Amino acid sequence: MAQAPTERTQVHRHPERGEYDRETVHQVLDQALICTVAWVDEDGRPRALPTIHARIGDTLFLHGSRAARAWKAVAAGAEVCVTATVIDELVLARTTPHHSMNYRSAVVYGRAQEVTEETKLYAAAKAITRHVLPGREDDAAEPGDKDWRETLIVSMPIEEASAKVRTGPPMDDVQDLDLDVWAGTLPLRTIAGTATPSPDLKPGIDEPAYLPRSEQEFPRP
Amino acid sequence: MTDAPTARTRVRRLPELGAYDRETIDPILDEAVYCHLAWVGGDGDPRVIPTIHVRIGDTLYVHGSAASSTLRAIKTGLPVAIAVTIVDGIQFARSMFEHSMSYRTVIVYGKAEEVTDAAELERLFDAITDHVAPGRAADARRPNADELRQTTFVKVPLTEASAKISAGFPDDAEADLDLDVWAGVMPLTLTPGEPLSDPDLKPGIATPDYVTNWRRPADPS
Repeated sequence: MAQAPTERTQVHRHPERGEYDRETVHQVLDQALICTVAWVDEDGRPRALPTIHARIGDTLFLHGSRAARAWKAVAAGAEVCVTATVIDELVLARTTPHHSMNYRSAVVYGRAQEVTEETKLYAAAKAITRHVLPGREDDAAEPGDKDWRETLIVSMPIEEASAKVRTGPPMDDVQDLDLDVWAGTLPLRTIAGTATPSPDLKPGIDEPAYLPRSEQEFPRP
Repeated sequence: MTDAPTARTRVRRLPELGAYDRETIDPILDEAVYCHLAWVGGDGDPRVIPTIHVRIGDTLYVHGSAASSTLRAIKTGLPVAIAVTIVDGIQFARSMFEHSMSYRTVIVYGKAEEVTDAAELERLFDAITDHVAPGRAADARRPNADELRQTTFVKVPLTEASAKISAGFPDDAEADLDLDVWAGVMPLTLTPGEPLSDPDLKPGIATPDYVTNWRRPADPS
C-alpha cells in the first residue's frame, strides 16, 4: 500500500481499509456512476451537490451549468472535495453495532479549473458520456456552440486522493459467534430495466447494441 | 409546491424540478441506503465522507465511530450538508449535453448536535439497523454499554432541506429530433443478489426472509 499523500487523505478510522495507490482510486472513480462535490460557500458553510464525473488518466472532469453559483465558485478555483462511493454488499453481523457495508469510496481534494481548450473540451464531454455508458460517446451528437455557452467543464488533478475499501464477512466478537442470529453479506447490484424509446424518436432507429439488456447488471468498467 | 425554506436550499438550476415539502423529501431519505456528509475541516476546506443515516420524524441522524475525526469534529455543532442521491435511470438524449439521469436527490443543511441520552442511543441503533435492512434490529444482539460509548450519533433537524427530482424522457432541442441517434430511457434498480452466509455461521440458522426479500424502497412497516 502506498502512503497517504497528505494528512487529510490519511484514513484514520480503520487504517487497514485505506488505499492510496492510483489504481484503486481510479477504479473506484470509474465504477461510481455519480459523485458528490462539496465546497465552502461565502458564509463558510459546507455545500454539497451530486453530479457526474469522468476520469481521463490522472485528471478528473466535472461539468455543470454556467448559471449555477456552485459551478461558478468551483470554476473560480474554490477548494473542493469530490467523493464517490460504490456499495457492494450489506454486511449483517450478529450484533447491531458490528453491522457494516462492503463499500469502496474515493476522495479527491484540490482546486478545479475551467477547461477552455477546444480539443480538451470535446474529449471531456465524450469521457463524461462514456463514463455513464461506454459506446454512447460515439453515437450521441457532440456539443455545439449553444451547449458550450450553457455548460462548463472543469478539471482537477487526481493527486491528493485516497480510497477506502471494506470487503469480506462481518467481524463479530468471538463471544458473539454462538448467538442464534444469521450473519452474512447481501450483494447489491444496479440492474437495468427495459429501455423505452422517446415518443418522438425518428422511425427506423434501432435500440443500440451498447445498451444493456433488461435484467442485466448495468455495465461498469 | 411549497417555497424553499432558505436561499441555499432553493433549486436554481431547473427550478421546476425542485421540491421542499416533507412528503417528497422523507421517502427519498428513507429509500437511500447511504448518504454523503459534507463539513468544513479545521483548515477551512471541505470534506465529504460516505455514511449511513436514518430519519425519525423530523430529524435526520448520522452515526460513526466515536473515534472518527469527522464525528468528533461535527458533534461540536459544526454546520453540515448531507446529500442523498438515488439514480432511477438514464435519459439518453440525441445530443451529449441533453443526456441526464433520472434521479431523486435531497440535500439537508443544518448544525449537527450530538445525541447523548442512553435510551435514545439504543433506539437509534435499532432505527439505523432497520434503515439498511428492515427487520434486522429485532434479530441482532443490541449494543452493550461499551459499544454504546464507541459510537457517536448526531442529529440534524429537517428544517432546511430540498429535493430535486428528474424523471421522464430526455429533452432534445427541436433541431436535433431529426438526428439518426436513438433516444430513450433506461430504468435502473438497486437489486439484491444471493445472500452469502458468514463462514463462521452456527449450523442450522436459516437466512431470514428480510434478507432474501430485501428491496428498495422498503415495504412500509
